Amino acid sequence: MKPCAFEYFTPATVPEAIGLLERYGEEAKVLAGGQSLIPMLNFRVARPKVLVDINQVKELDYIREEKDELVIGGLTRERSLEVSPLIQKKCPILAEAISYIGHLPIRTRGTMGGSLVHADPTAEIPVVISALEGTMKVVGPSGERLLRAEEFFVTYLTSALEPSEILVEVRIPTLPPNTGWSFMEFSRRHGDFGIVSVAALLFMGSQGRCQKASLALGGVAPSPLRAREAEKLLSGQVITAALIMEAGVLAAQATEPESDYHASAEYRRNLAKVFTQRSLQEAWNKIKGGK
Amino acid sequence: MPEVPRKWVGKSMKRKEDLRLLAGRGNFMDDIRLPNMKHAAILRSPYAHAWIKGIDISQALESPGVIGILTGAEVAKMSQPFPVGVSVPPKYYCCAVDKVRFVGEPVAVAVADNRYLAEDALDLIEVEYDPLPAVVDIEEAIKPGAPILHENIGSNIYNHRFFKYGDMEKAYKEAELVVKGKFKFPKYGSTPIETYGVIASYNPFSEEYVVYNNYQGPFVNHSLVAIALGIPENKMRWIVPADIGGGFGTKTGMYPYVALITLAAKKIGGTVKWIEDRREHLLASATGTDRVTYMEAAVKKDGTILGLKDKAIDNTGGYIRPPEPGCAYRSTGNHTGAYQIRNLEREVLVVGTNKCLTAPNRGYGCQELYFSLERLVDMVAAKLGMDPAEVRFKNFIQADQFPYTTATGGIYDAGNYPKAFQMALDLIDYKKMRAEQKKARAEGRLVGIGLTSVVDPSVTNIAYVAIGKTVEERKQERPKSGSGESAVVKVDPLGGVHVMVCTNPQGQGHETVISQIVADEFGIDPKDVTVSNVVDTHDRLYSITTGSFSSRFASQGTTAVVRAARQVKEKMLKIAGHILEANIEDMVMEEGKVFVKGSPEKSIRLRHVAGVAHWDQSALPEGMDAGLFGTSLYCMPTSKPPDDLDRVNSSNTYGFVAEAIVVEVDPETGQVKFLKWASVHDAGTILNPMIVEGQVMGSLTHALGGSLYEEFAYDENGQCLTASFQDYLVPTAMEVPKVAIGHIETPSPLTALGSKGTGEASSMSVPVAIGNAVADALAPCGVEIDELPLSPNKIWHLIQKAKKKK
Amino acid sequence: MKIEGTYTFPAPQARVWEVFNTPQHLQEALPGCEKLEEREPGKFDVYLKIGIAAVKGSYKGKMEIADAEPPHRTRLIGEGKGLPGFVKGEALIQLTPQDQKTLISYQGDVQVGGLLAGVGQRMIGGVAKMLLEQFFKNMEKILKPAG
Repeated sequence: MKPCAFEYFTPATVPEAIGLLERYGEEAKVLAGGQSLIPMLNFRVARPKVLVDINQVKELDYIREEKDELVIGGLTRERSLEVSPLIQKKCPILAEAISYIGHLPIRTRGTMGGSLVHADPTAEIPVVISALEGTMKVVGPSGERLLRAEEFFVTYLTSALEPSEILVEVRIPTLPPNTGWSFMEFSRRHGDFGIVSVAALLFMGSQGRCQKASLALGGVAPSPLRAREAEKLLSGQVITAALIMEAGVLAAQATEPESDYHASAEYRRNLAKVFTQRSLQEAWNKIKGGK
Repeated sequence: MPEVPRKWVGKSMKRKEDLRLLAGRGNFMDDIRLPNMKHAAILRSPYAHAWIKGIDISQALESPGVIGILTGAEVAKMSQPFPVGVSVPPKYYCCAVDKVRFVGEPVAVAVADNRYLAEDALDLIEVEYDPLPAVVDIEEAIKPGAPILHENIGSNIYNHRFFKYGDMEKAYKEAELVVKGKFKFPKYGSTPIETYGVIASYNPFSEEYVVYNNYQGPFVNHSLVAIALGIPENKMRWIVPADIGGGFGTKTGMYPYVALITLAAKKIGGTVKWIEDRREHLLASATGTDRVTYMEAAVKKDGTILGLKDKAIDNTGGYIRPPEPGCAYRSTGNHTGAYQIRNLEREVLVVGTNKCLTAPNRGYGCQELYFSLERLVDMVAAKLGMDPAEVRFKNFIQADQFPYTTATGGIYDAGNYPKAFQMALDLIDYKKMRAEQKKARAEGRLVGIGLTSVVDPSVTNIAYVAIGKTVEERKQERPKSGSGESAVVKVDPLGGVHVMVCTNPQGQGHETVISQIVADEFGIDPKDVTVSNVVDTHDRLYSITTGSFSSRFASQGTTAVVRAARQVKEKMLKIAGHILEANIEDMVMEEGKVFVKGSPEKSIRLRHVAGVAHWDQSALPEGMDAGLFGTSLYCMPTSKPPDDLDRVNSSNTYGFVAEAIVVEVDPETGQVKFLKWASVHDAGTILNPMIVEGQVMGSLTHALGGSLYEEFAYDENGQCLTASFQDYLVPTAMEVPKVAIGHIETPSPLTALGSKGTGEASSMSVPVAIGNAVADALAPCGVEIDELPLSPNKIWHLIQKAKKKK
Repeated sequence: MKIEGTYTFPAPQARVWEVFNTPQHLQEALPGCEKLEEREPGKFDVYLKIGIAAVKGSYKGKMEIADAEPPHRTRLIGEGKGLPGFVKGEALIQLTPQDQKTLISYQGDVQVGGLLAGVGQRMIGGVAKMLLEQFFKNMEKILKPAG
């Protein structure tokens, strides 16, 4: 199918882009990587009258380290993050998660900001950012806002962005040394949308105890799900195989999955349990094995 | 004529097609640009079953760039329904007329300056539908009270026949056990990378049509479209471009779109182009048939299968159209597979549901048949406590029994089933695998071994479609039979060899293989042979059976090429003999020269022979035509009509495939992992091993898709849920495991080179091999496997269900 | 697709019943409802613009309130057609008093057809649930006691 006709703008700066969004309101849609939007246009399930192509706003493409954070521009390509030595060294769970996004050509166009704002419940970046408790900076006509991950993802395909706002920057913590981490995704084929995914972080304290656990699941709720009960179970504890098993059960209980053609709700709940367990095991193995 | 030394045939010569294809210099449908070409978009039904109360195109006609809009009501005036080989046919036009019967069925066509504008026009067409209840389940469709699709038929049964062969009653009497099963085969297809494309031109001044399309044959469908449109065949010229991006049978079902776009061209009096997009392809092109089978085997305790009884219900969707009901009958000759089973009872139903239509999909009917037969063989083994390999060895047709005529009239030309099957077992180290399975099971791991042995029929004899009608009905009509394939070989005035075929290759490498064959025949280099496979019904020698389908090129196609080449050779030898004043029996053609045996210094170059034939025509032997060309439209003598006992040799050459697959199922996720896989093939003489390997991997991957990933899924209201590749899961390279491929060659006595078809191969055997492997893996859980695809979700649920039962 | 669930409104049963049967309130509550006109008692013409993020579509259709047994239960039947496809649904709604609150339980069936069903099936279940929740949240806003 071919898209409907649209007007097309290529602003060079953020204020220019916001100005266009304000002017055209509901009729306008931001085009970044286009890997989600273009198929929707081609199927004619999205019919924006105006496309504001922000790919020329080069100032939004960056990866920097600032003290104990990594600061990433909204237009940074997924592939850049995947191969960035900084990301691989300081926040490897992000690079790992991104390697599950579609296929290589898709990742050369898809952007960090685009994936977050699109807020697909099975997308990898939202799940990892939730586990990392990242902060999103958005800019709009009324100025700048900072949104924490737990307020950023509202529901299916809906972020907390107000109309005419653009996501310009994401901040994530660098992982302390001796952090156990794992990202796992179960899908039908290589590169497919995830059916269930898990991002697990074990922040270790003293005496071999896990100080804090962060567990985010994708594909089991309208937006990335933090498995709080499972996290509580692990926090302050010495990690054991039995604890991991129980954490999996708790995580599954917290899910509210839907059934679709590929996977029933019951099956997703089961996968949530299984992959939470496997992911925690892998994270723990990383700690045990040393870095 | 003596056999030629095989310098090129049998070698893995690199394909001549590849460089130009890889460089983007192929010649496909979408590459064709014609002057004043307009573009069509098709409005399709969102309902699975509904009356069309009215269509309002007034707003759409005002849409920018619109040239014209064609509706179903007009189509009904401009054409007739397609004829089809059943007693009470539905009225199948190329567009829905008063009713829609599947989601995606064409309802109107908009023609505009470009495709974007044509789709804008579609948005403005208002159709008023009166929805009706839909039926999607095969067995529900034939229950009383089911929604009826075709009022003129009165039921959803398009075709219904009974068959008896041998003495099934005796088989039951002698049997020591009867093993029964019910099997469901899913609806999937081959999704060629290039979709359908049509460019139709109508000249109102000459009243002639020129229609480009990427059709794969058989050319019976050219006649069908001519009949439907009420045009003499010679006024409608079909041209098929040199390159087609995959067919696999799917492109045998595109002729209704050829008709539709031709009518659109007629309506506007010009040229209309339509390239199908992927969503259209997944909604409304052509898929394989889904089937429900009840099958039972009467067996002895030693594993001998005395007889088979089965009831098979095929679903061709919202309509039935040619070549259906072929889905049910293509495999008639090889119904008993590789086994010596002489007693059969069959009930065949072909029914309709509110799903999209079907066409021969790679394997055509055999994967459905073998899924039942080979699952049943494994179930027989399990019930008798025998090794499933042993049961197969017990029942195989033996190597010294060829040619072997089956109970249903199939004439198996050559084979050695025990040898090929043993090779598959050896390639996976079967005994060792069984021992490892035992160990794995003790650890609670779900490891399974799936075996299968199937007969791979090729070169369809079109007679088999007639079996859809009873003996009495057939007597009222002209018999149908044949398998002819055409080739013209010519030598030009400067001695260059050129071959023309009508095989419409869709990627099989015909140009390469033909070059190899002709190079051997003439003693020249394959790179000096040129091949043209652009099919043009005006300019080419073809018949209704020409094309690429049922894996006919390797056997039938090559035989036609050899025969045509040898005609030319014979003439060249005669001319050379005339010049050298020697006897033709003493002449030899080698290395581009003709000479007398034993006196190679007395030789004439081929170029010189051609020179005489073209430039010095009076020097030719008296009465001989000028020029140098040979022609063959070769039909195998084994292609006869069905007899009065409903026996028919449905194919002509019969190969063999054995699969041995070892899997492990993860009980936590239901995921299937392949540990080992051996695939052994007997395709007769192998013409190009590299190409054959491609065919094996391709057919295997198609079948892997249907076994674990792909399915055209519909909800209970007939809504298609898999209209994009997001949900219709075609395996990627990452999903295909390593496969050990083995070959044996039992040459066919029927073909010039001893080759048999190899295009379908593993598409027939892999679905059941995977089914058998997973069934074996899950046997300790008490899970029965009787359907596909085996998604992780499905397997996990089966395991949970079995747990609850315990 | 089957839908079912519950919702508790902070209002007495009679009031909830009244609001559910007032066309103007239904229009306010139905997500994206731009027009709701009663043709005959209990039968309405509806015009909705619904969707999520960029996937929005206009739907023209009908709605019916049937088998009403005030103030305990009623059946809502609706269908709409648009370019993205069609939606058809039916739900049985039961009201049960709980002190000063009312428990609504609904059970029904929604059919989605056309383009969206074919290319968006993995989202449909979740989005339907989300729109339903929006409907009930909007209803709750209307029901909040004045003052």
